[in-house]
Amino acid sequence: MYAVRNIRLCTKDCLCLYVCPTGATDTETGQIDRAKCLSGCRACVDACPSHAISLVPESYPPQQEKKDSVTRALRLLAASKAKQEQLCKGLEQSAGTEASRRLARAMRLSNRLMAEDILRESGYMLPQSKNVQDLLADMLSTEQDDAFPRAAVRRLLELLTQQ
Amino acid sequence: MAKFVCSICGYTYDEAAGSPDQGIAPGTRWEDLPEDWTCPLCGAPKSMFEGQTHSEEEPASAVPVAREEQEELRELSFGEMAALCSNLAKGCEKQYRAEEAGLFAELAAYYEGRAQKRAAKNFSELPPLIESDLKAEYPAAREAATSERDRGALRALTWGEKVSRILVSLLGKYQNQGDEMLNGTNVYVCEICGFIYLGETPPAVCPVCKVPSLKLQMIAKEAV
Repeated sequence: MYAVRNIRLCTKDCLCLYVCPTGATDTETGQIDRAKCLSGCRACVDACPSHAISLVPESYPPQQEKKDSVTRALRLLAASKAKQEQLCKGLEQSAGTEASRRLARAMRLSNRLMAEDILRESGYMLPQSKNVQDLLADMLSTEQDDAFPRAAVRRLLELLTQQ
Repeated sequence: MAKFVCSICGYTYDEAAGSPDQGIAPGTRWEDLPEDWTCPLCGAPKSMFEGQTHSEEEPASAVPVAREEQEELRELSFGEMAALCSNLAKGCEKQYRAEEAGLFAELAAYYEGRAQKRAAKNFSELPPLIESDLKAEYPAAREAATSERDRGALRALTWGEKVSRILVSLLGKYQNQGDEMLNGTNVYVCEICGFIYLGETPPAVCPVCKVPSLKLQMIAKEAV
């Protein structure tokens, strides 16, 4: 578990700089240097008066199992929202006025967010989960067109299975 | 004196108290509120309110849950894959995993490019689709999630249903008022649940998912 800083909460009291045994908290980017951070040390987390630092886990428990009946019903909804997102995208591109374009754009984003949330709850919440790894492996074993970002999927599998 | 509850955000209109901030005097009856009166918290129209005496129970769904019990899980469409991958990109971002987030975003963009394009003449094509979600798909999914005690799925369905209702009501208003509805006002989208808010400044918390207003993103005005 290594420390991360939420810049939005950080009030620059700098207690994290005083307590860090390795200097990992003092960087020009505002982020904590992961290479120097001691896993599980948490001195900066406890010292921070604005609760801007937390620990990000390196491993996670297996995810809650989803029942097929729930997944099936959720996917019907996700398909509907994805279709509506594409309709809104078409409306956004063909909009004749500033106002109608803004409305179409808001509705496109709204539909994408609803689809994301529904799919998250259908078994794809945690990027490191077995479900996601299986999905990525499936992509590689299925025939894809030339534009498919095969290298990205391979790299993802490499990064996600390390964890 | 009766009370009426907003089905979107839970605000209660109490006839005895009125809504002085909106110029509605105490003792104003529900039927005497102007037709264009909207919820002071989330902007929902009167039609989104229900009398508080109504039963809280969900109506039984007419849609059989087991309708596809024998079928294999359907493959996800390109559009769904785009949403699945953009969501995983967010999941990586929240863990400060920038490289993984970038790779999932690349995958999402690929699927987005392959998603079936759909041209629409105008906004009137949307309400029937949303109504169908609200009448059939949400109740069916709710029933499946309830019988499996899947609280996470129920949470997503509750938010999605509320946002869908808001979209229907905005589209209805837009049909009547046209661009006037948006001229001189801002449009915000909640980055967490997709709630859409029209107004000068966003509410302190999202009325659907209760996230603080800093997560309500303003849609920029762009010249056409």
